[in-house]
Amino acid sequence: MASFIQLLVSGLATGAIYALIAVGFTLLWQTSQTINFAQGEFVMLPAFFILAAVDLGAPFWLAALIGIALSVLILGVLFKLIIVDPMLKYGVMPLVISSIALSLFLKESAKDFYSAQAQPFPALVPPIDIHIFEAVISTQSIVVLAVAIATVAALQFLLDKTRLGRCMQATAQNPTLAIILGIPVRRMVLYAFLLNAALVAIASILISPIYLAKFTNGETLGTAAFLAAIIGGFNQVRGAILGGVILGILDNLSAAYISSQYRGAFPLMILIAVILLRPHGLLGRIEERTV
Amino acid sequence: MNRLAVAAVAIAVIGAVTAPFLLKSFGIYLISMWAVLTVAAIGLNLTLGYAGQISLAQGAFVGIGAYCVGLLTPAGVPYFVAFACAGLLCFGIGWILGYPALRVQHHYLAFVTLAFTTLVFLVLRNEEWLTNGIYGINAIPRPTLLGWSANSALNFYFFSLGMLIAISLATWWLLRSPWGRAFAALRENPIRALSLGLDTRRYTLMAFAIGSSLGGLSGALYAPLVQFIEPSSFALGLSFNLLLMVIVGGSGFFFGPFVGALIAVLLPEWMRIAQGYYLIVYAAMVMMLMAFCPSGILGLIERAIKAAAARGSPAARELSAEEAGP
Amino acid sequence: MNAVLEVSKLRKTFGGITAVDGVSFEVRDGEILGIIGPNGSGKSTLFNCVLGQLRPSSGEVRVDGKPTTGMRPCDLNRLGVSRTFQLLQVFPQLSVRDNLILAGQEHQGSMVSRLFGRTDAGLGDAVGRMIAFFRLAHLADEPAGALSYGQQKLLDTAMAFMAGPRLVLLDEPAGGVNLTMLGDLRDRLQAYHAERSATFVVIEHQMEFVMALCTRVLVLAEGRIIAEGAPQDIRRNPTVIEAYLGH
Repeated sequence: MASFIQLLVSGLATGAIYALIAVGFTLLWQTSQTINFAQGEFVMLPAFFILAAVDLGAPFWLAALIGIALSVLILGVLFKLIIVDPMLKYGVMPLVISSIALSLFLKESAKDFYSAQAQPFPALVPPIDIHIFEAVISTQSIVVLAVAIATVAALQFLLDKTRLGRCMQATAQNPTLAIILGIPVRRMVLYAFLLNAALVAIASILISPIYLAKFTNGETLGTAAFLAAIIGGFNQVRGAILGGVILGILDNLSAAYISSQYRGAFPLMILIAVILLRPHGLLGRIEERTV
Repeated sequence: MNRLAVAAVAIAVIGAVTAPFLLKSFGIYLISMWAVLTVAAIGLNLTLGYAGQISLAQGAFVGIGAYCVGLLTPAGVPYFVAFACAGLLCFGIGWILGYPALRVQHHYLAFVTLAFTTLVFLVLRNEEWLTNGIYGINAIPRPTLLGWSANSALNFYFFSLGMLIAISLATWWLLRSPWGRAFAALRENPIRALSLGLDTRRYTLMAFAIGSSLGGLSGALYAPLVQFIEPSSFALGLSFNLLLMVIVGGSGFFFGPFVGALIAVLLPEWMRIAQGYYLIVYAAMVMMLMAFCPSGILGLIERAIKAAAARGSPAARELSAEEAGP
Repeated sequence: MNAVLEVSKLRKTFGGITAVDGVSFEVRDGEILGIIGPNGSGKSTLFNCVLGQLRPSSGEVRVDGKPTTGMRPCDLNRLGVSRTFQLLQVFPQLSVRDNLILAGQEHQGSMVSRLFGRTDAGLGDAVGRMIAFFRLAHLADEPAGALSYGQQKLLDTAMAFMAGPRLVLLDEPAGGVNLTMLGDLRDRLQAYHAERSATFVVIEHQMEFVMALCTRVLVLAEGRIIAEGAPQDIRRNPTVIEAYLGH
């Protein structure tokens, strides 16, 4: 029982991180029809920005801020202006291909310009083990959970309670109507990109202590984002959160109770099951059939 | 313009047949790799360029085909039986995979194929009793056809070139048939196609299944070429590579895969000077290509030819101006 | 006389908006029914619901007595129902000939037999006749995208007729077509109707076209039928005039 609780807690922690990544992904998709195959690499990269800043002498807290700022600038603004905007006129396909090429570009850049070796990444708190009801839980998991929950709560507040957030939601649900209502749609889309960049930077800071900063992180994290988004329901931010949490818990439990060699397989099979049985995901809305 | 295309193809064929005599054994290996990968790219072109679906599993199908041959031929199964098995197995798996994924929209196939590729890699790596796991399968024999051995580098090149030509002819025949017309309809106007009684779901599924089986056939050629296979060659990286090949060459063009595969095989060699930064350069080039001409290199060439013809006659100028909007 | 098409209490809502509000009507064998109404009256939504492009929120559609509500457009087509579109009509990179073969090929044999059969799926003669009927012979091998708008409309209509359908739904066939071409189009439609005793349902804005072609007219406004009858009567109906002027 104790180990089950441990797994649950650490699973919740990883799941919360997956949720952040999946939410950003879903936001981009909803507001601008951008399927960002490089989302995993977007999470991998900020860790390297931070490590580079630390190498140049900055204290960790400053490096983290620099990392988030660089992320917002490069993965938010530059991504939108240089890659997404010019390609939107050609339709969804070239953009998807470009994001695949981008994922390759970022991965190889991290490998060649920083290091091909996995780099240790400083945790937010020194990992002390706390004993609760015979279960050993690391402070790291608790802090990760806290930060992730705080971020998600802030995000929900932004989206539901502020005017800006409601405009973004309107843009996501019905861009044409939003334009008619006088919402500056292009700016809303830009905000979605900035938000995504911030989310992935935070996720990066949270996950790199656990996974280490590796240039190959993108693959697993990206897959997790897609799985979470689909399982939760492609067209709902809340769904992405639920999907991420479920994924994190399942991932941890399956690694422990099922073979750890097939650790990645269980979520993939859930994905296939979801697509077979409930393609709009757990919380998604059934969309109008167009063909 | 047709005469230009025929001339270009003729030159290419002559080049393909004479090139090996001018190259050393590594060069011959490279062009054999080109021939083998073009088969997979042709399959992916069917799925992507005609049916408009992104498949990230083509690398996995190459792997399944390769392991099919790698396991059967050393056990004494005749090569062409193993070859056919590879194709049929991948066709079936493609059908099963595509069936649920294509009932929904939103490029779900892309994610399903992504998941599938990872699953295949895990199985290949973990099931050591079958695949020898990370230690791979060694000493895969090259086929002998009616007494002629494809063992030497030169002979194997001609074998793979012959298979490429045969498969291209079969694909050409497919695209000329009513199915080919249906695939074109899928790409050009699927809503109209549906209203004419064309079952877009079934044709898309068929294109995906056929494309996947060509991936399997490519794997069946890959195994005897490299003669040693292991799971990591068939992970997501190969699927990405094949996808970029089709796009760079020009998706939807018949010869796109040939051009794309050539670039993908030769680029690392040309960029030896860039010391392995070639992937970064390649990725950057693809992004620029997508921003400028999403229909790839053959698309660029087509555009250039139309522009040149337009400078010739006013009517052609009007036509090309109309079509300039993608 | 049998009803080829029966629509019962069809309703379609999008979020808070009711586009089609309980519409019921019948289309009798051999008639040419016109559906008119001001912009936003729900004509296109109604069409799309009947044709399977949209799933109705409630209500039923029957073709020849068979329930077809929510059926996919391709299955509906195989029951003998065909349509033309307002926009996106043809396959631009295929030749006119290929467009027509495509329009008929899915009705020839099975999918497998088509793979191994002739390239033109045995439709060579039928296509030739259709090209002659619509007077497109001089354009037969041109890519459909190179045709003028009016010519594409003719091609679109020809494609709808290729499979010899029982019921053809035409969505604003006269839209954007010049007067001469319009005369041609109406002429071809009437000729086809006479030759094959086909049944047509036409949505149209252009009054003259509707009056000249249709045998009966339905008027839709705000998602409901407000009038029905012979063209001349509809033209003088005060409710109809008000519906149009009120917009």
